[in-house]
Amino acid sequence: MAAVILGSGTPRGFAQAPANPPQLKVGEEAPDFKLQYFDGTDLKDIHLSQFRGKKNVIVAFYIFAFTGG
Amino acid sequence: MKNFQQNLQKLEASDTQVLGVSMDSPFANKAFADQIGVTFPLLSDWGGDVTRKYGLYVDKYKAARRVNFLIGKDGKILEMQVDKEAIDPTKIVAACERHKLNR
Repeated sequence: MAAVILGSGTPRGFAQAPANPPQLKVGEEAPDFKLQYFDGTDLKDIHLSQFRGKKNVIVAFYIFAFTGG
Repeated sequence: MKNFQQNLQKLEASDTQVLGVSMDSPFANKAFADQIGVTFPLLSDWGGDVTRKYGLYVDKYKAARRVNFLIGKDGKILEMQVDKEAIDPTKIVAACERHKLNR
């Protein structure tokens, strides 16, 4: 007899992300921020507002350094 | 982040600055950038203030959600990709090019 394996839908657990969408919406103003990065010599400040009127900005939040994506 | 690096020329040609943000220290982020060959800034939101301001702090992970924002020159959010969707930047790269065309 062949075993019958029933599909049980998506596995639950590790990769389950919060289902709610972020509060910010397309069309809204992105909150300004000032953050630092290390360029190898110094800590440098970046303000989101410094790109206003000059460049589009992709702000990519990621979970931890040294992980994929 | 590597995905953005691979598309960096296209993004720069579309007048777009890429910024990574995580709650790691600036030094951890620099080491990470060097390891994966990323040349754009990886910003440190040490303490998570900006992550919280953007509503992306996840208590369970003590870290940010993975979200990409494309912000226009007027400071408004043009596109947003959340969680798994945010791993592949193809859509946001295409959006940059589209927004450039419509400028």
